[in-house]
Amino acid sequence: MGDGAASQLSDAMNRLWEKFLPQMEGRVATLEDAAARLASGADLTQVALGNAAADAHKLAGVLGTFGLKEGTELAREAEGLFEGVPGADAATVARLVAIADGLKRLIAGRRP
Amino acid sequence: MHRILIIDDEDDIREVAALSLETVAGWEVMVASSGAQGLARAATYQPDAILLDVMMPGMDGPATFRELQKNPATAHIPVMLLTAKVQATDRSRFADLGVKAVLVKPFDPMSLSQQVADILGWN
Repeated sequence: MGDGAASQLSDAMNRLWEKFLPQMEGRVATLEDAAARLASGADLTQVALGNAAADAHKLAGVLGTFGLKEGTELAREAEGLFEGVPGADAATVARLVAIADGLKRLIAGRRP
Repeated sequence: MHRILIIDDEDDIREVAALSLETVAGWEVMVASSGAQGLARAATYQPDAILLDVMMPGMDGPATFRELQKNPATAHIPVMLLTAKVQATDRSRFADLGVKAVLVKPFDPMSLSQQVADILGWN
């Protein structure tokens, strides 16, 4: 692949990132909301937990494609933790809150 | 020019994979957003290979693969599963279906086409 094609791909990837940024931010918001509700002591429905795990799974699948490999690892960890709830202890819930915050920062900080 | 069908319910993954295969390899890419749509497009367009997401609502990847295998019009098309599941047990279970390969998401857009070409012997 020549430099021209590599540059063309990189530019197009950045355009796709901008296009899908709101969708990714929405997925992180789902995780953040679920983690915050767990931290407040609320019981989440199976549907809400399933949605959080599903959004974490989707983030895990795509963030590394845009160069955010750490984001993929965090999202993968969140998916596993959400699949393990209910019965999560305080440390697990705190970890979910931290992961959601970490994902927000990584996504906001991505540069072309 | 090779023709690839991407079946994935996630629009971001579909678009990135399509962009990668078109830009890097110059292949012709078709997309489908569900297993049912993928079955129809595979039969109509007769792609040279299919990239098929595992986790989709409704008909998931393994179910879609089984339907592709049942249809004489699509049974010959090599299928590679795409999954964000990384556990060895998951990947082994998917490989046992009889697919050509199991590719892990996230993929590298720069090297996806080379990975596919290597698997299919297109080099």
